[in-house]
Amino acid sequence: MSIELQDVEHRYAGTDHGVLGVSLTVAREELVTVIGASGCGKSTLLRLVAGLLPVQQGRLAIDGRPMAGVPPWQRPVGMVFQSYALFRHLNVLDNVAYGLRMRSVGLADRRSRALEVLDSVGMASHANRRVDQLSGGQQQRVALARALAFGPSVLLLDEPLAALDAHLRTRLCDEIRDAHRRSGAATLLVTHDQHEALMLADRVAVMARGRLVQVASPRQLYDRPASLEVARFVGHANLLAAQVLGPGRVACELGELRADTSAHAAGTTVTLLVRPEALQADPPAGAVNRLVGRTTRERFLGPTSRWDFTVPGVAPGRQTVLLCEGPVVAREAVALDPQRLLLLEAGEPASGTS
Amino acid sequence: MAVALYLVYLLLPIGLLALGSVGEVWTNTLLPTGFTLRWFAEVAGDPSFRRAFVTSLLVALWTCVATAVLAVPLAYTLYHRAGQAGALAGRLLATLPVAVPALTLGFGYILVFSSDALPWLGSLLLLVAAHVVLTLPYMTQAVLADLRHLGLRELEAGASTLGAAPWAQFTTVALPSMRHSLVSGSVMVVALSIGEFQLSNLVASFSHRTYPVVLLQAFYGATGYACAATVVLLALALLAAAVPARPTGGPG
Repeated sequence: MSIELQDVEHRYAGTDHGVLGVSLTVAREELVTVIGASGCGKSTLLRLVAGLLPVQQGRLAIDGRPMAGVPPWQRPVGMVFQSYALFRHLNVLDNVAYGLRMRSVGLADRRSRALEVLDSVGMASHANRRVDQLSGGQQQRVALARALAFGPSVLLLDEPLAALDAHLRTRLCDEIRDAHRRSGAATLLVTHDQHEALMLADRVAVMARGRLVQVASPRQLYDRPASLEVARFVGHANLLAAQVLGPGRVACELGELRADTSAHAAGTTVTLLVRPEALQADPPAGAVNRLVGRTTRERFLGPTSRWDFTVPGVAPGRQTVLLCEGPVVAREAVALDPQRLLLLEAGEPASGTS
Repeated sequence: MAVALYLVYLLLPIGLLALGSVGEVWTNTLLPTGFTLRWFAEVAGDPSFRRAFVTSLLVALWTCVATAVLAVPLAYTLYHRAGQAGALAGRLLATLPVAVPALTLGFGYILVFSSDALPWLGSLLLLVAAHVVLTLPYMTQAVLADLRHLGLRELEAGASTLGAAPWAQFTTVALPSMRHSLVSGSVMVVALSIGEFQLSNLVASFSHRTYPVVLLQAFYGATGYACAATVVLLALALLAAAVPARPTGGPG
């Protein structure tokens, strides 16, 4: 019940697109989400594991068994397609039972097993419906049930929630998570939606240009992105070009700030990353990294607010707009907790919000 | 307005034919006078018409079966070999029957199949083959369009991850996916085959003449007789189009 990828490559003929060397292990009962912009190779990666595309270089093993030369229909892999790919000439029950039928399970057995799995996704009452009588969310559940009904050791989901509205997405995220737990399958889920990726995953793999740029737990990925690229992709962030002055001191357009510079030598050019919720509203006078300015835009979001806080820069005529988030909107000052100020060396130094 | 004019243009001759088929006398008047079913009885009693009627049905049926059997693998191959060669083959198939007149085909058949090597001119088999050549593209196009619309490639990928080997994918996913277009294609093929005149007239022998070929002879006789014979052909074609047009499910 595991997926092992070792320097796996599939390059589309005549291009630099595809999967260009990916190593990743997904353990039994683990759910790894793969995120990346469209065209980064994440769907290709799934198709390689399913056997729908050939691995040109590298090694792919499922449950410790090398998959070279094994066709899709002989792999222990269930897959949910973005289009669901449900069979419209079969009703819901027979769609779910299809994998068992291909494994020559008897009619009565496969129907009762399919009904069980349908029940677990709350669709047992729709067993005799035609597929095109179902809503998008219901079709998604049927596709999930069909992929799991024959007990695969690997589950692959390709943008399973992309076609659904936001409200339904959150609920189905929980259902996918539950179904994954019950099945115990090593699961790879591809998405371009960072919320989905963080919400569902045990680990998140960020993919760009055919390669994995970081694989980490959702919290680690959010708090400690390995690069500017990952930081930009996951969550909102204030990015400030800066230079390390000496131990515990950096200089940027906001002036001199206290920060943890233990990993960086003096004189290094870095990018400061500050999450919006790491900025404290109206700190006491004398707080570390206290910045005086004013709120220039406010967005009420219910339990929290997101606001722009404009700080006059050190240079005359320059100002910096910081994106902040929290229940209380700052009136005159914000403070930057030095512990939550992240210094990134890789990539081009740049300022801005993402 | 334009539609109304079009309908008048289409329906007026049919209406006049229907009137004429039950009219007692129709000479030197705008409309026929009197009412009779005599003409239908005469057509029904004519052995050459009866034989042609059966021949037409047989030819239509066999043409339908043959095109369906040929169109399934043809459309399936064209769908999956969508490279340049496949696209070209598909375009050729779609345009050839329009570009090549049936008359040309007919003369070609006469040249080829009246030879000593291939003396099949006038056989029922050749007649069916000729109809298949004319109607196959329509059937193939109907099936091909259906496969594209359904996104068969993704369905087959889904089936393969569920354990279906290629032959199982074909029989359990591809074939059932074609059933609606096979039915609608068959309707078209039967209607085309029943009404086909040009090629049949050139290729059919005296003993295997199809209904439209015999029908031409009727116009040398009484008007009412010719009208009644034509109405029979019309009814036959409409019946072919109406009977299978009630599929069990909706378009899938």
